Parts: sequence; C-alpha cells; structure tokens
Amino acid sequence: MIPLKYNVRNLRVRWVNTLLTVIGTGAIVWSSCILFGLVEGLQHSLNVSGDPLDLIVMRKGSTSETNSGIELTKAEKIPTLSGVMRDDKGRPLAALELLNIPIVERLDGSRANLIVRGVDPVSSELRPNFQIVKDGGRMFEPGKGECIVSKNLTKRFKGAALGSELKVGEREKYRVVGVFSSGGSAAESEVWVDRKDLEQNIAREGITSSVQVRAASQADFESLRKTIENDTQFKLAAIPEVQYFAEQSKSSIFLKVAGTVIAILLTIGAMFAAANTMYAAVRSRTREIGTLRALGFSRTDVLMSFMGESVLLCSLGGIAGLLATLPLSAITYGTSNFNTFAEITIQFRFGPIVMLVAFLMTVAMGVFGGLFPAMRAVRMDVVTALREV
Amino acid sequence: MGKPHSIVLQNVNKEYRRDEFVIPVLSDLDLVVDEGEYLALMGPSGSGKTTLLNLIAGLDRATSGAVIVHGQDLGTMSEGQVTRWRADNVGFIFQLYNLIPVLTAFENVELPLLLTHLSKKHRRENVMTALRAVGLDGREDHYPRQLSGGQEQRVAIARAVVTDPYLLVADEPTGDLDRKSAEEILSLLQQLNTEFGKTIVMVTHDPQAAQRASRILHLDKGKLVRDEQQISFPVGVAS
Ligand SMILES: Nc1ncnc2c1ncn2[C@@H]1O[C@H](COP(=O)(O)OP(=O)(O)OP(=O)(O)O)[C@@H](O)[C@H]1O
Ligand SMILES: [Mg+2]
Repeated sequence: MIPLKYNVRNLRVRWVNTLLTVIGTGAIVWSSCILFGLVEGLQHSLNVSGDPLDLIVMRKGSTSETNSGIELTKAEKIPTLSGVMRDDKGRPLAALELLNIPIVERLDGSRANLIVRGVDPVSSELRPNFQIVKDGGRMFEPGKGECIVSKNLTKRFKGAALGSELKVGEREKYRVVGVFSSGGSAAESEVWVDRKDLEQNIAREGITSSVQVRAASQADFESLRKTIENDTQFKLAAIPEVQYFAEQSKSSIFLKVAGTVIAILLTIGAMFAAANTMYAAVRSRTREIGTLRALGFSRTDVLMSFMGESVLLCSLGGIAGLLATLPLSAITYGTSNFNTFAEITIQFRFGPIVMLVAFLMTVAMGVFGGLFPAMRAVRMDVVTALREV
Repeated sequence: MGKPHSIVLQNVNKEYRRDEFVIPVLSDLDLVVDEGEYLALMGPSGSGKTTLLNLIAGLDRATSGAVIVHGQDLGTMSEGQVTRWRADNVGFIFQLYNLIPVLTAFENVELPLLLTHLSKKHRRENVMTALRAVGLDGREDHYPRQLSGGQEQRVAIARAVVTDPYLLVADEPTGDLDRKSAEEILSLLQQLNTEFGKTIVMVTHDPQAAQRASRILHLDKGKLVRDEQQISFPVGVAS
C-alpha cells in the first residue's frame, strides 16, 4: 500500500488548493447541516410536546386547535371526569385553553402570525419542563393584562422583551412580566396569558379552543378517551397528544424531502470541486505515479491512494463544515407552521441526523469526486507517465 | 563461459501505433546478457535505448519476440504478475531521480519495502544499510529538495538496491549531474556490479560513463550496430 502520509503531505504541500476545496466543500456541508439541524429541531419540538398520557380535547371534526371551539359548559365538565390525573395540590390536570392567532409585528418590521394562548393555572404542568427562565420575571397574574413570553420569541417580536408592552391587536395588549422555556416543546413558540383575560379581549366569552387533559394511568387514558368520544352530548374528539403532534409534524417531512434534494444537488456541486482538485493533483504527479508503478505498486494501490486522498480532502471539508455548525446551537429560527400559519420557532439541533448528513455528504463527495481522477491515474501508461518531465 | 544467462532477447520487435501510422522502434533484436554483466547502451537520440531498457525491465511489452529475464518470459505474464515481478527483481534508477518530493530520503528508500512482508524494524534496518552503502547515513530525514542532485541520485540508488533486486536498470543516471557527482554515481554503480554482482543495464550518452561498463552496446534506428566487450575495465576514480 502506498502510505497515507504520501497523501497527507501532498495535501499540505498544495495547501492553497486544499484550503480552497476545504472551504468549498465545508460551506456545502455546513449549509446542509443547518437545514437538517433545523428539521431535527422541529421534529424534536413536536416529539417532546406529546406526552403519552395526554389528550387534546377538541370539537369533533377539528384538525387543529385553531379551528376548534367548545362551549365552556361542556369543557368545564372534563376536569371533573374520573381518571384525570391530579397534581400535588389536588387539582385535576385538565386545562381549558383558548387560542388566538393575531398578526404581530416582528423586530425586523415584517409581520407574522403569533400564537397567543389563554391558559389555566395547571396548563404549565401539562407542558414538559415548563419554567420561568432565570432572571426572567414571574408568572402572570390574572385580570391584570399580563402575559409571559417564550424565551425564543422575546428576540423575534416587537414588545416581546421582558417589561415591554406586547401589542397584539387593536385593543389587545399585554405587559410582558415573565419569560419561560419548556424543554423545546411547541409551547416555546407561544405567548401565554390568562384565559379569562383573553376571552374578554377577543370577545369569545363562553368558548374555549381545547382542553388539555392528563390521564392518571394508561388504563385511565383509554377510558377517559372513550368517555369523551362516546358521549353524544359532548360531541368532542379526544386526540392523544402524541398523535396530534405527529400529524402536525407532517410538514417537517416536506422540509426533509426538500432538504434532501438540496443537499444532493449541493453535494454534486461539491463533487465537481473535489474532482477538479484531484484532477490537478493527478496531472501534476504523473511522473510520480509512473515511478510508483515502476517500483511495483499495482493499479489498485494507485486507485486506493488517490481515492484515499480525495476522501481525506473532503473529510477535512466535512469536519470543518460540521464544526462550523456548533455555534448555531444557540440560534433560533422562525418559520411558519403549515397548519396554523403561526410563527413557530425552531432550535437548531446538533444531533445524529446532522452528523449522518455530514458523513454521507463527505463520503459521497470524496468517493465520487475522487473516482474519475483516480481512474485517470490508474489508466495511465507507465512508460508514458515516466517520460513526463 | 558457463555463466547463466541473465537477459535473453529473441527476435524482438517493438513498434508504436499512432492512428494509421506504425512507428517501428526496435527491429529483430537478438541479445544475450550474462549474469553479473554491466551493460552500457549507447546510441543517438531516438534510437530506441529507453524503449529497450523498458522491455528488459518489464515496464513495456515487445510487439513480437521473446524477452526472458532471470529465466522468466515476461511476455507470458499478466500485468499484475509483471508488476509483482518488477518489485521483486528490478531496481530502477532514473535520469531525474524520480524521488517522491513529499517523502524523506528514508521514506523514499522504504517505499519498495512496503511491497514486502518485512516488519517495520527490518525495513528500518534495510533502509539504513542501503543509505549507508550510498554514503548518506545522517541524511535520512532530509527531503529531496534539501539534497543536491548527486545526493538525490544516491538516494534513488539506495531505493533501487534496498530490496536486493537481481537487475538494476539505469536510464541516463548521470545525465543531469555535474562531472564530479557523475563520477561518484558511476563508481557506486560499478561497486554494485563488482562487489555485489548485480547485473546492470545502463543507458548513457556519455562515452566516459560507458567506459565503466563491462560491455557497450550501440543502437541505431532500432538495430544493434556494435557490441564491444571491454577486455578489462578500469577501476573507479580514486577519491
Ligand atoms: N509512446 C510512444 N508513441 C510513439 N512513439 C514513441 C513512443 N515512445 C517512444 N516513441 C518513439 O520511439 C523512438 C525511440 O524512443 P526512445 O525513447 O527509446 O529513444 P532513446 O534512444 O531513449 O532516445 P533519447 O536518447 O532521446 O532518450 C523515438 O522515435 C520515439 O519518438
Ligand atoms: Mg531515452
């Protein structure tokens, strides 16, 4: 075998070429990784949002909370049903929640839909790791026109910072008294206010959008679901939260497909960059290749050596691109939820998918980018190669 | 004489084809070289010296006729077999040294040993022995660009002999060197021939270099035109 240091040192000697190729392939790996990191973030947010014991109760026929409406008289019965889990204060873990999706001005002046959720006191217990962040103020108090805002949104919307006034409509405005986080779940794309406040502000007294319920056990989950669904008077649907969010995450499949197509196209581009560099390498080392073959190295040895060099070159780019995504873990990206058209925030997630994408792209670039140049080296006639000056 | 034949060429023809044209390079060549001979190939440019050397070294194939080296008919071997055979039997010395620029003197000499099953320790011993033989111990960590032309060629000779091959082929080994370096290289080759019994085939334009050989073959337009046996050849220039 031709020693690998031969390739490593050649990459180092031609460092300008190497660097340019590394930057090129690195940038491509980087951008694809960002894309997949965001898709992964979206998926994660939807995954952690669904608790296996939770049900979302909506009007029958509704596909999402936004187009659901339940009369309060019906909704208020749900917390009284048996099988509902209770918190340590003895309160049933069933929260009536009312949704409003006004158009709000972003910090950059553009406008986007924002989810304002009117919640009950137990709502926070129904979300994963719900907490007011450190130095993030306090929980709102009912009847005072106060709200709390997810940490991700504070830097995206006008008036969403702690202590500011968040204007969400003609008459509707809230003072931001707290900033919360919730384990990367869907709640992190929302503003929370007291449900009664919201009811009044948007003149929807007597109506709620959904009821979030947690069953005390798996058995209770099933019976609770049946009770709600089969009650002819209720005319309600009790959808397992896991299933609800799985449906919402269908939009991420589109992103994944689009992302894959883009990544493939970019990879093909990068292959040409790598191939170009490797062609130059093979051309400039013609006599060396002839010499190695004369010394007794086989065509396979030469093939492996140049393929190895190409993979090594692209790996440098891949690693650089991957490392360059690390600082992005702190970055939040806003996009529209395809179901509600509300702005949802996604956190870039550096995880196995991102690493897999980087790895696959790198290998593809290295192998296919290196193949044709390496073939040229392999097919070279030894005698002709040795005559090269 | 009874010495075994080292190289036997029987009715060898070599022609290159380019599109419609057939360029005859070697025609009806017959040659027998005994083991331990030091052969110098001379002749005008384009007479086919390099081509003949390449045939003997198993780098190229004859269009017709047989090339038998160390008992092996090279024409009957597959490409992979010839490649392997070269690694085991032939040491190459080139006009432009052909060292790998990114490898040190040590690593360059070690290259052919990577095709053997020798352990790292044994490889190291062999490389150091070869470098000592060419007078370059202490220079093993130098890269080719840090060496003079003469030193580079000595590294190349160390690389050629490190596997203890049967045959050494050298294509104008002093063509790029000044007189003094050339003399050193020629002495080294002569020593390899007389002390270690290596069969050597050397292409050269330099009559002085050819005088060091035991036999001089003159080629013209692809034919052997003169075959001079040196009765007794001078000992290397004292230094
Ligand atoms: N691949 C090839 N295709 C066509 N013709 C070739 C090829 N290789 C060599 N020749 C021709 O064969 C002839 C002999 O070439 P060769 O290199 O053997 O000569 P030489 O005696 O070594 O010359 P020099 O002293 O210049 O090195 C030349 O006319 C050359 O042009
Ligand atoms: Mg020649």
